[in-house]
Amino acid sequence: MNNFKFFKPQSFKELLDIKDELLSAGYPLAGGSNLLVYIKENMVKSGTLIDISSIEELKGINKVDGSIEIGAAETITNILESSLINRELPFFSLSLKDFGNPLIRNKATIGGNLADASPVADTAPPLLVLGAFVSVVSRSGTRKIPVAELFTGPRKNKLEENEVIQKIIIPIPLEGKGAFLKLGQRKGTSISVTSVAVWIESSSDKFRNIKIALGGVAPTPVRALNTEKAFSGKNIDRNSIKTFAETLRKDIRPISDVRGSAEYRTEVSINLLKRAVYECLEMEE
Amino acid sequence: MDGKEYYNIKLIVNGKEVKGSVAAETSLLDFLRSKNYIEVKKGCDKGDCGACTVLIDGKATVSCLTSAIQAQGRKIQTLKSLGSWDKLDPLQEAFVKHEALQCGFCTPGMLMTAKALLDENPHPTRDDIKEAISGNLCRCTGYKKIVDAIEAVSKGEN
Repeated sequence: MNNFKFFKPQSFKELLDIKDELLSAGYPLAGGSNLLVYIKENMVKSGTLIDISSIEELKGINKVDGSIEIGAAETITNILESSLINRELPFFSLSLKDFGNPLIRNKATIGGNLADASPVADTAPPLLVLGAFVSVVSRSGTRKIPVAELFTGPRKNKLEENEVIQKIIIPIPLEGKGAFLKLGQRKGTSISVTSVAVWIESSSDKFRNIKIALGGVAPTPVRALNTEKAFSGKNIDRNSIKTFAETLRKDIRPISDVRGSAEYRTEVSINLLKRAVYECLEMEE
Repeated sequence: MDGKEYYNIKLIVNGKEVKGSVAAETSLLDFLRSKNYIEVKKGCDKGDCGACTVLIDGKATVSCLTSAIQAQGRKIQTLKSLGSWDKLDPLQEAFVKHEALQCGFCTPGMLMTAKALLDENPHPTRDDIKEAISGNLCRCTGYKKIVDAIEAVSKGEN
Protein backbone atom coordinates (compact mmCIF):
# COMPACT_ATOMS: atom_id res chain seq x y z
CA MET A 1 0.00 0.00 0.00
CA ASN A 2 1.26 3.47 -0.75
CA ASN A 3 1.63 6.08 1.91
CA PHE A 4 1.41 9.78 1.18
CA LYS A 5 1.16 12.95 3.19
CA PHE A 6 -0.22 16.27 1.98
CA PHE A 7 1.20 19.68 2.79
CA LYS A 8 0.14 23.08 1.58
CA PRO A 9 2.79 25.76 2.14
CA GLN A 10 1.29 29.16 2.88
CA SER A 11 4.16 31.09 1.32
CA PHE A 12 7.02 30.71 -1.15
CA LYS A 13 9.45 30.69 1.76
CA GLU A 14 7.53 27.86 3.42
CA LEU A 15 7.67 25.93 0.12
CA LEU A 16 11.46 26.30 -0.05
CA ASP A 17 11.77 25.29 3.61
CA ILE A 18 9.71 22.11 3.22
CA LYS A 19 11.52 21.19 0.00
CA ASP A 20 14.84 21.69 1.79
CA GLU A 21 13.66 19.39 4.56
CA LEU A 22 12.00 16.63 2.52
CA LEU A 23 14.32 16.74 -0.52
CA SER A 24 13.36 14.05 -3.05
CA ALA A 25 10.54 12.80 -0.80
CA GLY A 26 8.71 16.10 -1.36
CA TYR A 27 6.74 16.12 -4.62
CA PRO A 28 5.55 19.52 -5.85
CA LEU A 29 1.91 19.10 -6.93
CA ALA A 30 0.40 21.69 -9.27
CA GLY A 31 -2.11 20.31 -11.80
CA GLY A 32 -1.43 16.67 -11.02
CA SER A 33 -1.65 15.42 -14.60
CA ASN A 34 1.72 13.67 -14.33
CA LEU A 35 2.13 13.03 -10.60
CA LEU A 36 -1.29 11.47 -10.00
CA VAL A 37 -0.71 9.10 -12.93
CA TYR A 38 2.65 8.04 -11.46
CA ILE A 39 0.98 7.39 -8.11
CA LYS A 40 -1.82 5.36 -9.71
CA GLU A 41 0.77 3.36 -11.65
CA ASN A 42 2.83 2.76 -8.49
CA MET A 43 5.86 4.49 -9.96
CA VAL A 44 5.77 6.81 -6.94
CA LYS A 45 4.85 4.97 -3.75
CA SER A 46 5.34 7.33 -0.84
CA GLY A 47 6.23 10.88 0.02
CA THR A 48 4.67 14.24 0.69
CA LEU A 49 2.57 15.97 -1.94
CA ILE A 50 3.40 19.66 -1.68
CA ASP A 51 0.54 21.76 -3.01
CA ILE A 52 2.15 24.59 -5.01
CA SER A 53 -1.00 25.59 -6.89
CA SER A 54 -1.61 28.82 -5.00
CA ILE A 55 1.91 30.15 -4.49
CA GLU A 56 1.93 33.65 -6.01
CA GLU A 57 5.66 33.57 -6.79
CA LEU A 58 5.04 30.69 -9.22
CA LYS A 59 2.35 32.58 -11.13
CA GLY A 60 2.16 35.32 -13.70
CA ILE A 61 3.06 35.96 -17.33
CA ASN A 62 5.07 39.16 -17.74
CA LYS A 63 7.43 40.96 -20.05
CA VAL A 64 10.68 41.76 -18.27
CA ASP A 65 13.74 43.28 -20.01
CA GLY A 66 12.97 41.92 -23.47
CA SER A 67 12.00 38.47 -22.19
CA ILE A 68 8.74 36.78 -21.42
CA GLU A 69 8.66 35.29 -17.94
CA ILE A 70 6.11 32.58 -17.22
CA GLY A 71 5.47 31.35 -13.69
CA ALA A 72 6.12 27.61 -13.40
CA ALA A 73 2.60 26.94 -12.08
CA GLU A 74 0.85 28.64 -15.02
CA THR A 75 -1.36 26.23 -16.94
CA ILE A 76 -0.92 25.53 -20.64
CA THR A 77 -4.38 27.06 -21.17
CA ASN A 78 -3.30 30.30 -19.51
CA ILE A 79 -0.27 30.46 -21.80
CA LEU A 80 -2.40 29.77 -24.89
CA GLU A 81 -4.83 32.51 -23.85
CA SER A 82 -2.22 35.06 -22.78
CA SER A 83 -2.62 38.23 -24.83
CA LEU A 84 1.00 39.16 -24.00
CA ILE A 85 2.39 35.94 -25.48
CA ASN A 86 0.03 36.05 -28.45
CA ARG A 87 1.24 39.56 -29.20
CA GLU A 88 4.97 39.25 -28.42
CA LEU A 89 5.73 35.63 -29.28
CA PRO A 90 2.80 34.00 -31.09
CA PHE A 91 5.08 31.11 -32.12
CA PHE A 92 5.16 29.87 -28.54
CA SER A 93 1.41 29.85 -27.98
CA LEU A 94 0.82 28.31 -31.43
CA SER A 95 3.25 25.54 -30.60
CA LEU A 96 1.18 24.55 -27.55
CA LYS A 97 -2.16 24.25 -29.33
CA ASP A 98 -1.89 20.45 -29.64
CA PHE A 99 -0.54 19.87 -26.11
CA GLY A 100 -2.46 16.92 -24.58
CA ASN A 101 -6.10 17.86 -24.92
CA PRO A 102 -8.18 20.79 -23.66
CA LEU A 103 -9.09 19.01 -20.41
CA ILE A 104 -5.43 18.35 -19.62
CA ARG A 105 -4.30 21.83 -20.79
CA ASN A 106 -6.60 23.30 -18.12
CA LYS A 107 -4.51 21.67 -15.37
CA ALA A 108 -1.05 20.82 -16.78
CA THR A 109 1.59 23.46 -16.05
CA ILE A 110 4.68 24.54 -17.97
CA GLY A 111 6.92 23.98 -14.93
CA GLY A 112 5.50 20.49 -14.48
CA ASN A 113 6.06 19.62 -18.13
CA LEU A 114 9.72 20.66 -17.89
CA ALA A 115 10.42 19.15 -14.46
CA ASP A 116 8.94 15.86 -15.68
CA ALA A 117 11.72 15.82 -18.30
CA SER A 118 9.97 13.45 -20.67
CA PRO A 119 11.77 12.97 -24.00
CA VAL A 120 8.48 14.02 -25.62
CA ALA A 121 7.70 17.03 -23.39
CA ASP A 122 5.87 19.27 -25.84
CA THR A 123 7.03 22.55 -24.31
CA ALA A 124 10.71 21.59 -24.72
CA PRO A 125 11.51 21.82 -28.48
CA PRO A 126 9.99 25.32 -28.85
CA LEU A 127 11.80 26.53 -25.72
CA LEU A 128 15.07 25.01 -27.00
CA VAL A 129 14.99 26.90 -30.31
CA LEU A 130 14.08 30.09 -28.44
CA GLY A 131 17.09 29.72 -26.13
CA ALA A 132 14.91 29.80 -23.00
CA PHE A 133 16.04 29.41 -19.39
CA VAL A 134 14.43 28.14 -16.23
CA SER A 135 14.95 30.03 -13.03
CA VAL A 136 15.27 27.56 -10.16
CA VAL A 137 15.19 28.48 -6.51
CA SER A 138 16.13 26.85 -3.23
CA ARG A 139 16.75 28.13 0.27
CA SER A 140 20.36 28.72 -0.72
CA GLY A 141 19.56 30.92 -3.71
CA THR A 142 18.48 31.30 -7.30
CA ARG A 143 20.14 30.10 -10.48
CA LYS A 144 19.31 30.13 -14.16
CA ILE A 145 19.60 26.90 -16.15
CA PRO A 146 19.34 26.98 -19.96
CA VAL A 147 16.57 24.60 -21.07
CA ALA A 148 19.30 23.10 -23.29
CA GLU A 149 21.07 21.89 -20.14
CA LEU A 150 18.03 21.02 -18.03
CA PHE A 151 17.44 17.44 -19.18
CA THR A 152 19.94 14.76 -18.26
CA GLY A 153 18.04 11.61 -19.28
CA PRO A 154 14.52 10.24 -19.63
CA ARG A 155 12.56 11.79 -16.74
CA LYS A 156 15.76 13.14 -15.22
CA ASN A 157 16.64 16.78 -14.82
CA LYS A 158 19.43 18.87 -13.42
CA LEU A 159 17.51 20.21 -10.43
CA GLU A 160 19.01 19.65 -7.00
CA GLU A 161 16.72 17.84 -4.55
CA ASN A 162 15.92 21.05 -2.68
CA GLU A 163 15.23 23.15 -5.79
CA VAL A 164 11.99 24.10 -7.48
CA ILE A 165 11.42 25.74 -10.85
CA GLN A 166 10.08 29.23 -10.25
CA LYS A 167 9.74 30.58 -13.75
CA ILE A 168 10.58 30.09 -17.39
CA ILE A 169 12.38 32.95 -19.10
CA ILE A 170 12.07 33.26 -22.87
CA PRO A 171 14.14 35.95 -24.63
CA ILE A 172 11.92 37.52 -27.29
CA PRO A 173 13.80 37.16 -30.62
CA LEU A 174 14.28 40.43 -32.48
CA GLU A 175 13.55 38.83 -35.82
CA GLY A 176 12.65 35.53 -37.38
CA LYS A 177 9.87 33.04 -37.58
CA GLY A 178 9.23 29.69 -35.98
CA ALA A 179 7.28 26.51 -36.59
CA PHE A 180 6.52 23.52 -34.37
CA LEU A 181 5.19 20.33 -35.86
CA LYS A 182 4.20 17.27 -33.90
CA LEU A 183 3.25 13.85 -35.10
CA GLY A 184 1.20 11.73 -32.74
CA GLN A 185 -0.73 8.55 -33.33
CA ARG A 186 -3.91 10.58 -33.65
CA LYS A 187 -4.86 14.21 -33.37
CA GLY A 188 -6.52 14.42 -29.94
CA THR A 189 -4.81 13.57 -26.63
CA SER A 190 -1.73 12.34 -28.35
CA ILE A 191 1.71 11.76 -26.99
CA SER A 192 4.22 12.84 -29.61
CA VAL A 193 5.90 10.14 -31.67
CA THR A 194 8.25 12.84 -32.86
CA SER A 195 8.12 16.62 -32.75
CA VAL A 196 10.25 19.25 -34.46
CA ALA A 197 10.66 22.95 -33.70
CA VAL A 198 12.46 25.31 -36.06
CA TRP A 199 13.36 28.98 -35.73
CA ILE A 200 14.84 30.83 -38.71
CA GLU A 201 16.23 34.31 -38.28
CA SER A 202 17.32 34.98 -41.83
CA SER A 203 15.35 37.21 -44.09
CA SER A 204 18.06 37.16 -46.78
CA ASP A 205 18.67 34.48 -49.42
CA LYS A 206 20.97 32.43 -47.17
CA PHE A 207 20.23 30.42 -44.04
CA ARG A 208 21.72 32.00 -40.99
CA ASN A 209 20.98 31.39 -37.33
CA ILE A 210 18.65 28.50 -37.98
CA LYS A 211 17.75 26.63 -34.78
CA ILE A 212 16.32 23.12 -34.76
CA ALA A 213 15.12 21.04 -31.80
CA LEU A 214 13.31 17.74 -31.58
CA GLY A 215 11.32 15.65 -29.13
CA GLY A 216 10.94 11.87 -29.06
CA VAL A 217 14.16 10.99 -30.90
CA ALA A 218 16.72 10.79 -28.09
CA PRO A 219 16.77 10.21 -24.30
CA THR A 220 15.96 13.91 -23.88
CA PRO A 221 14.57 16.68 -26.09
CA VAL A 222 17.56 17.76 -28.22
CA ARG A 223 18.97 20.53 -30.39
CA ALA A 224 20.09 19.25 -33.83
CA LEU A 225 23.45 21.06 -33.88
CA ASN A 226 24.98 19.19 -36.84
CA THR A 227 21.93 19.90 -38.95
CA GLU A 228 21.93 23.56 -37.93
CA LYS A 229 25.57 23.78 -39.03
CA ALA A 230 24.82 22.04 -42.33
CA PHE A 231 22.12 24.58 -43.17
CA SER A 232 24.13 27.59 -42.07
CA GLY A 233 25.23 29.88 -44.92
CA LYS A 234 23.55 27.76 -47.60
CA ASN A 235 21.18 29.18 -50.18
CA ILE A 236 17.55 29.19 -49.20
CA ASP A 237 16.03 26.93 -51.83
CA ARG A 238 14.21 23.65 -52.17
CA ASN A 239 17.38 21.74 -52.97
CA SER A 240 19.23 22.81 -49.78
CA ILE A 241 16.23 22.00 -47.64
CA LYS A 242 15.98 18.49 -49.13
CA THR A 243 19.73 17.83 -48.88
CA PHE A 244 20.56 19.24 -45.46
CA ALA A 245 17.49 17.89 -43.65
CA GLU A 246 19.17 14.48 -44.14
CA THR A 247 21.94 15.57 -41.73
CA LEU A 248 19.39 14.96 -38.99
CA ARG A 249 20.41 11.28 -39.06
CA LYS A 250 23.62 12.37 -37.27
CA ASP A 251 21.78 14.29 -34.56
CA ILE A 252 19.16 11.84 -33.37
CA ARG A 253 19.13 8.49 -31.60
CA PRO A 254 15.52 7.34 -31.65
CA ILE A 255 14.34 4.11 -30.03
CA SER A 256 11.63 1.69 -31.10
CA ASP A 257 8.63 1.50 -28.80
CA VAL A 258 4.85 1.09 -28.88
CA ARG A 259 4.43 4.40 -30.67
CA GLY A 260 6.83 3.72 -33.54
CA SER A 261 10.07 2.12 -34.66
CA ALA A 262 13.41 3.92 -34.69
CA GLU A 263 13.44 3.83 -38.52
CA TYR A 264 9.95 5.33 -38.68
CA ARG A 265 10.87 8.08 -36.23
CA THR A 266 13.96 8.95 -38.27
CA GLU A 267 12.09 9.27 -41.57
CA VAL A 268 9.22 11.17 -39.93
CA SER A 269 11.64 13.58 -38.24
CA ILE A 270 13.31 14.43 -41.54
CA ASN A 271 9.95 15.02 -43.20
CA LEU A 272 8.66 17.12 -40.29
CA LEU A 273 11.87 19.17 -40.36
CA LYS A 274 11.48 19.92 -44.08
CA ARG A 275 7.84 20.84 -43.55
CA ALA A 276 8.70 23.10 -40.59
CA VAL A 277 11.41 24.88 -42.59
CA TYR A 278 8.97 25.45 -45.48
CA GLU A 279 6.44 26.77 -42.99
CA CYS A 280 8.92 29.23 -41.46
CA LEU A 281 9.89 30.48 -44.90
CA GLU A 282 6.28 30.54 -46.07
CA MET A 283 7.26 28.39 -49.04
CA GLU A 284 5.08 25.78 -50.73
CA GLU A 285 6.29 22.27 -50.01
CA MET B 1 0.56 0.51 7.32
CA ASP B 2 -1.57 2.03 10.08
CA GLY B 3 0.43 5.20 9.64
CA LYS B 4 -1.58 6.29 6.60
CA GLU B 5 -2.85 9.80 7.11
CA TYR B 6 -6.31 11.10 6.28
CA TYR B 7 -7.40 14.69 5.85
CA ASN B 8 -10.79 16.25 6.47
CA ILE B 9 -11.99 18.24 3.50
CA LYS B 10 -14.98 20.41 2.66
CA LEU B 11 -15.88 20.92 -1.00
CA ILE B 12 -18.58 22.93 -2.73
CA VAL B 13 -20.22 20.62 -5.27
CA ASN B 14 -23.13 21.91 -7.35
CA GLY B 15 -23.55 24.70 -4.81
CA LYS B 16 -23.76 22.34 -1.82
CA GLU B 17 -21.19 21.74 0.88
CA VAL B 18 -19.81 18.19 0.97
CA LYS B 19 -17.54 16.98 3.77
CA GLY B 20 -15.36 13.92 3.95
CA SER B 21 -12.05 12.39 4.86
CA VAL B 22 -9.51 11.53 2.16
CA ALA B 23 -5.94 10.33 1.73
CA ALA B 24 -3.33 12.74 0.33
CA GLU B 25 -3.50 11.13 -3.10
CA THR B 26 -7.30 10.62 -3.33
CA SER B 27 -8.64 11.92 -6.61
CA LEU B 28 -11.62 14.22 -6.85
CA LEU B 29 -13.24 11.47 -8.95
CA ASP B 30 -13.00 8.83 -6.21
CA PHE B 31 -14.15 11.32 -3.58
CA LEU B 32 -17.20 12.38 -5.61
CA ARG B 33 -18.22 8.80 -6.38
CA SER B 34 -17.84 7.84 -2.70
CA LYS B 35 -20.28 10.65 -1.92
CA ASN B 36 -22.74 9.23 -4.46
CA TYR B 37 -22.04 11.65 -7.28
CA ILE B 38 -22.09 8.60 -9.53
CA GLU B 39 -22.92 10.69 -12.60
CA VAL B 40 -19.16 11.34 -12.67
CA LYS B 41 -17.97 8.26 -14.56
CA LYS B 42 -14.75 6.37 -13.94
CA GLY B 43 -13.30 5.32 -17.30
CA CYS B 44 -9.55 5.01 -17.75
CA ASP B 45 -8.70 6.79 -14.46
CA LYS B 46 -5.55 8.24 -16.10
CA GLY B 47 -6.73 11.32 -17.93
CA ASP B 48 -7.05 9.73 -21.34
CA CYS B 49 -10.83 9.33 -21.81
CA GLY B 50 -12.62 12.35 -20.31
CA ALA B 51 -15.53 10.32 -18.85
CA CYS B 52 -14.90 11.89 -15.43
CA THR B 53 -14.98 15.49 -16.68
CA VAL B 54 -16.30 18.07 -14.23
CA LEU B 55 -16.11 21.86 -14.20
CA ILE B 56 -13.73 23.47 -11.73
CA ASP B 57 -14.23 27.22 -11.53
CA GLY B 58 -15.98 26.96 -14.89
CA LYS B 59 -13.17 25.10 -16.69
CA ALA B 60 -13.64 21.52 -17.86
CA THR B 61 -11.08 19.08 -16.58
CA VAL B 62 -10.61 15.44 -15.65
CA SER B 63 -11.49 14.72 -12.02
CA CYS B 64 -9.38 11.53 -12.00
CA LEU B 65 -6.16 13.58 -12.10
CA THR B 66 -7.42 16.27 -9.74
CA SER B 67 -6.43 16.04 -6.09
CA ALA B 68 -9.54 16.06 -3.89
CA ILE B 69 -7.73 18.17 -1.27
CA GLN B 70 -6.67 20.72 -3.88
CA ALA B 71 -10.30 21.08 -5.02
CA GLN B 72 -11.20 22.79 -1.73
CA GLY B 73 -12.36 26.36 -2.08
CA ARG B 74 -13.14 25.97 -5.78
CA LYS B 75 -16.49 25.74 -7.52
CA ILE B 76 -17.13 22.17 -8.66
CA GLN B 77 -19.94 21.28 -11.05
CA THR B 78 -21.00 17.80 -12.08
CA LEU B 79 -23.61 16.78 -14.64
CA LYS B 80 -26.35 17.21 -12.05
CA SER B 81 -25.72 20.96 -12.01
CA LEU B 82 -27.07 21.12 -15.57
CA GLY B 83 -30.71 20.08 -15.36
CA SER B 84 -33.19 17.77 -13.68
CA TRP B 85 -35.63 15.14 -15.00
CA ASP B 86 -38.37 17.76 -15.09
CA LYS B 87 -36.30 20.45 -16.67
CA LEU B 88 -33.41 19.35 -18.83
CA ASP B 89 -30.66 21.73 -19.87
CA PRO B 90 -30.83 22.68 -23.59
CA LEU B 91 -27.66 20.61 -24.12
CA GLN B 92 -29.27 17.55 -22.56
CA GLU B 93 -32.39 18.04 -24.70
CA ALA B 94 -30.26 18.39 -27.82
CA PHE B 95 -28.31 15.21 -27.02
CA VAL B 96 -31.64 13.32 -26.79
CA LYS B 97 -33.10 14.92 -29.89
CA HIS B 98 -29.98 14.34 -32.01
CA GLU B 99 -29.43 10.83 -30.61
CA ALA B 100 -25.97 11.95 -29.53
CA LEU B 101 -25.54 8.97 -27.22
CA GLN B 102 -25.78 5.23 -27.37
CA CYS B 103 -24.31 3.49 -24.32
CA GLY B 104 -24.22 6.80 -22.46
CA PHE B 105 -21.00 6.29 -20.53
CA CYS B 106 -19.17 9.25 -22.06
CA THR B 107 -22.24 11.48 -21.97
CA PRO B 108 -21.88 13.12 -18.52
CA GLY B 109 -18.31 14.16 -19.33
CA MET B 110 -19.18 15.15 -22.87
CA LEU B 111 -22.02 17.37 -21.64
CA MET B 112 -19.77 19.11 -19.10
CA THR B 113 -17.14 19.81 -21.74
CA ALA B 114 -19.86 21.14 -24.05
CA LYS B 115 -21.23 23.29 -21.24
CA ALA B 116 -17.81 24.86 -20.56
CA LEU B 117 -17.32 25.48 -24.29
CA LEU B 118 -20.66 27.24 -24.80
CA ASP B 119 -20.26 29.29 -21.60
CA GLU B 120 -16.95 30.61 -22.91
CA ASN B 121 -17.74 30.72 -26.62
CA PRO B 122 -21.51 30.74 -27.31
CA HIS B 123 -21.05 30.48 -31.08
CA PRO B 124 -18.27 28.00 -31.83
CA THR B 125 -17.55 26.65 -35.31
CA ARG B 126 -17.81 22.89 -35.90
CA ASP B 127 -14.00 22.78 -35.71
CA ASP B 128 -14.06 24.61 -32.36
CA ILE B 129 -16.54 22.01 -31.09
CA LYS B 130 -14.41 19.10 -32.33
CA GLU B 131 -11.31 20.58 -30.71
CA ALA B 132 -13.14 21.20 -27.42
CA ILE B 133 -14.36 17.59 -27.14
CA SER B 134 -11.08 16.08 -28.35
CA GLY B 135 -10.29 14.91 -24.79
CA ASN B 136 -13.63 13.12 -24.43
CA LEU B 137 -13.66 9.70 -26.02
CA CYS B 138 -16.88 8.15 -27.36
CA ARG B 139 -16.72 4.63 -28.77
CA CYS B 140 -20.36 4.47 -29.98
CA THR B 141 -21.52 7.51 -31.89
CA GLY B 142 -18.63 8.40 -34.16
CA TYR B 143 -18.94 11.96 -32.74
CA LYS B 144 -20.99 13.43 -35.62
CA LYS B 145 -24.25 13.47 -33.69
CA ILE B 146 -22.53 14.89 -30.62
CA VAL B 147 -21.13 17.75 -32.67
CA ASP B 148 -24.58 18.20 -34.30
CA ALA B 149 -26.23 18.44 -30.87
CA ILE B 150 -23.77 21.00 -29.50
CA GLU B 151 -23.94 23.01 -32.71
CA ALA B 152 -27.76 23.02 -32.58
CA VAL B 153 -27.71 24.51 -29.08
CA SER B 154 -25.15 27.13 -30.12
CA LYS B 155 -27.45 28.17 -32.96
CA GLY B 156 -30.51 28.23 -30.72
CA GLU B 157 -32.13 25.53 -32.84
CA ASN B 158 -33.44 23.61 -29.91
